[in-house]
Amino acid sequence: MTIMSKTYNFVGLNNFKQLFSDDFFIKSVLNTWKIWLMNFIPQLGIAMLLAVWFMNNRLKIKFVGLWRTVYYLPNLLMPVAIAALFYNLFSRYGPVNQIAVRAGILEEAFDFFRSPGWTQSIVAFIQWWMWFGVTILYLMAGMSSISPSYYEAALVDGASSWDMFTKITLPLLKPVLIYVLVTSLAGGMQMFDIPYLLTDGRGSPNGSIMTMSVLMYMKFSSGKGFIGAGASVAVMIFIITAISASIIIRLLREKE
Amino acid sequence: MSYTIKTKLTKTFIYIFLVILFLITIVPVWILLINATRSTPEIQQGVSLLPSNNLLNNWKYLTGKGANIWRGFINSALISIPATLLTVHFSMMTAYAIQVYDFAYKKILYNIIILLTIIPTQMASIIGFYKYMSMLNLLNSYIPLIIPAIAAPPMVFFASQYLESTLVKDLIESARIEGASEIGIFHRIILPIAKPGAFTMGILSFVASWNNFFTPFMLISKVEKYTLPMMVKLLRGDMYRTEYGAIYLGLAITVIPIIIVYAMFSKYIISGISLGSVKD
Repeated sequence: MTIMSKTYNFVGLNNFKQLFSDDFFIKSVLNTWKIWLMNFIPQLGIAMLLAVWFMNNRLKIKFVGLWRTVYYLPNLLMPVAIAALFYNLFSRYGPVNQIAVRAGILEEAFDFFRSPGWTQSIVAFIQWWMWFGVTILYLMAGMSSISPSYYEAALVDGASSWDMFTKITLPLLKPVLIYVLVTSLAGGMQMFDIPYLLTDGRGSPNGSIMTMSVLMYMKFSSGKGFIGAGASVAVMIFIITAISASIIIRLLREKE
Repeated sequence: MSYTIKTKLTKTFIYIFLVILFLITIVPVWILLINATRSTPEIQQGVSLLPSNNLLNNWKYLTGKGANIWRGFINSALISIPATLLTVHFSMMTAYAIQVYDFAYKKILYNIIILLTIIPTQMASIIGFYKYMSMLNLLNSYIPLIIPAIAAPPMVFFASQYLESTLVKDLIESARIEGASEIGIFHRIILPIAKPGAFTMGILSFVASWNNFFTPFMLISKVEKYTLPMMVKLLRGDMYRTEYGAIYLGLAITVIPIIIVYAMFSKYIISGISLGSVKD
């Protein structure tokens, strides 16, 4: 039964039941979460660090405009091109291997794309590379609306930098943090372009970068017409995103 | 340790960190551009930070294989330009209505729009959409890629935040007294004022549409209608398997226009994004 047939079987929630016992689905959920977390935690950490440094009046970092402009650049490049580029960079005869062998770090060329762990890390790195610049911009925008008088009063009271960060900056950044968390989560759960285009579209090696979207596409495009299964994966992406987002919002919301 | 020495050490450490991040960000792009000018044997021999002279040969190989990159450019432009205009215009209009008018269920509707931003593309634009477009006989057409751009929840949110901080209601009042129509007010007074925000929205929408791989990939199967991202995917196929120089050149061509535009407008783009994301 393909997507174009006029008849269909109404199977109720059967597709969903099958999903939960499908190893590939469970694997794709784990992959999606793992890669997103590997990307997002450093992303938020580094972006926060940079935002704090840039906004700090005492440090007076120069060339802030230059840094922000450069760090945002990867976000504008075509993911298709980025995937092709990094595939070449990390391939057996690519620059990374060449430099590593010449510098003596590796004895011989290492096939990154045969190793599930490395391939996942490369995907996470690419996602980080593309998005950390935007996160810096959002965090700085949020910080710029915090009145400096809070910090001045805290300084007079003898607060340390760490105290000021945890007790003034973080709480007042909550709306921006929620926004960044939820949008990154939604994007992360839907991750398709890089995992699909980096290797062969099936999540190689060994299905390690098969995210939920890649699985959905595989089901959708397979000749056997697993349309129902594919559609249910899509719905699961939504449900997982919605539940996680509401947990995040509930946890972080201001208590009125 | 004295205060100034500590600060100086911290600053040095910070600058080193910033430079390392700078290199991590730029080096892949730089290698891409450099390799587009080198020949395949040169590339396989080693990394170089300086360009070589094989540009013309790579170009000949790239265009000689029958994949028409220019067609891809034109197709992408045919989709992205109308889509961007529609998105900016209608999102601004929606945000304007939310900021200026009061109507029943306004808050609920606005919250629904925000909720719509987390609906996955997979759910909204793929499976059901494919069948829908197929029934309407609109596969391999650009219409399903352009018209839906009218409804862009993230852009409505952005425009709403932006208008909240730039709109002056008195201006509208006085225009009404002068007898201007509501639509006239929007087009002739508010839009000119909101130009910076509209410009940012325009850039963001354009880049998103230009770089979009998934939706055209789902809907288009005729090669002459391929968008630019789809052509880039072809670069990794058998035609160009080992001609690394040509592959890099193809990638570089898709990336250079964006870099040039960005270099010209980076100030506006960066400040626009910051403006549209401030929550009070």
